[in-house]
Amino acid sequence: MDNFEKHIRENAGEFNEHTADKAKLWAHISAELEKDTPKVIPLWKRPMFRVAASVTLLIGLATIFGLAYFNTNTAQEHYVSKELLEIDMHYQDLVAYQVELVRKNQYLSDADKSEFLSFMDELDAEYEVLRKEMHNNLDNEQVLAAIVANYKTRIELIENLLHQINESKKTNHEYGYTL
Amino acid sequence: METDIRFTHQSLVERSKAGHSSSQYELYSLYVDAMYNVGLRFLGNKEDAEDIVQDSFVDAFKNLERFKYESSFGAWLKRIVINKSINHLKAKRIDLVPMEQHAFHLSQEEETMGNEAVDIKKVKQGIAQLPDGYKQIINLYLVEGYDHVEISEILDITTSTSKSQYHRAKRKLLEIVKEL
Repeated sequence: MDNFEKHIRENAGEFNEHTADKAKLWAHISAELEKDTPKVIPLWKRPMFRVAASVTLLIGLATIFGLAYFNTNTAQEHYVSKELLEIDMHYQDLVAYQVELVRKNQYLSDADKSEFLSFMDELDAEYEVLRKEMHNNLDNEQVLAAIVANYKTRIELIENLLHQINESKKTNHEYGYTL
Repeated sequence: METDIRFTHQSLVERSKAGHSSSQYELYSLYVDAMYNVGLRFLGNKEDAEDIVQDSFVDAFKNLERFKYESSFGAWLKRIVINKSINHLKAKRIDLVPMEQHAFHLSQEEETMGNEAVDIKKVKQGIAQLPDGYKQIINLYLVEGYDHVEISEILDITTSTSKSQYHRAKRKLLEIVKEL
């Protein structure tokens, strides 16, 4: 590089003598940049989101209605007749309450409780057979009567057991008084 | 510790990459005049220079993620302006390299200036009077400070062509300057 070249390069800054119209150029530049800036589309306004939302909504509604339909069917299957439903509502709580009384009774040994409750389980199994039979023979009065009899047997058994327990308690008290 | 020139305005560049328009404007403000002058030197008129500078800044900001500090931001941006200017001249079918009829200068002795400093104003006037083909290579080498490898890339010529064409252009420039 000779002196001429060095001199020019060292003074290259002097070649920048013009000033740009800053505001005018920036106006164009920023307009171009804004044009290409990806617009922020809210999620819910995006076409794909709308499709996804619609699909989700449809699936949700289908699930709700489907469940409602199948639940109805299950309930219908479970209670094949209105009479059976009424019978169950009437006796189930009563039996459950009395079974609980037996379980918590402090005068019965664990062995006695276990023996009694296993008998109750047998009656439960019999009830299930009857309910299935009811399913096959709708409005079969004989089956319904058998179910009622099943419940009554359970209640009767429990009542008898509880009565016996009470009787034994009385006897003990009498002995106590004698002493 | 000396800061690497490549990382000049790094924070502004990074914020601009993230899309901060205020940082983009700051960067623009720092370089717009220099780029405008580059454009003017190559294109010779205000309107074309403005168009090229606008396009260059738009391209630079849109593609800023490609800038990896292999050079300074200013050098990267200037290369965009020069490439666009050259393409603009090509589109206008303006000669980018000296014409062959001036090749006779090669056989002549290299003209040299004396030790006295050349008046920069005269050099500017001399460059303005150069034919287009000479003007570009003189600007690239003398004013913009590119070497012949870089010029060969910019003008898509060989390095040896760049060297020989530059020497012809310089000789012509010196002739003009001497007469001024």
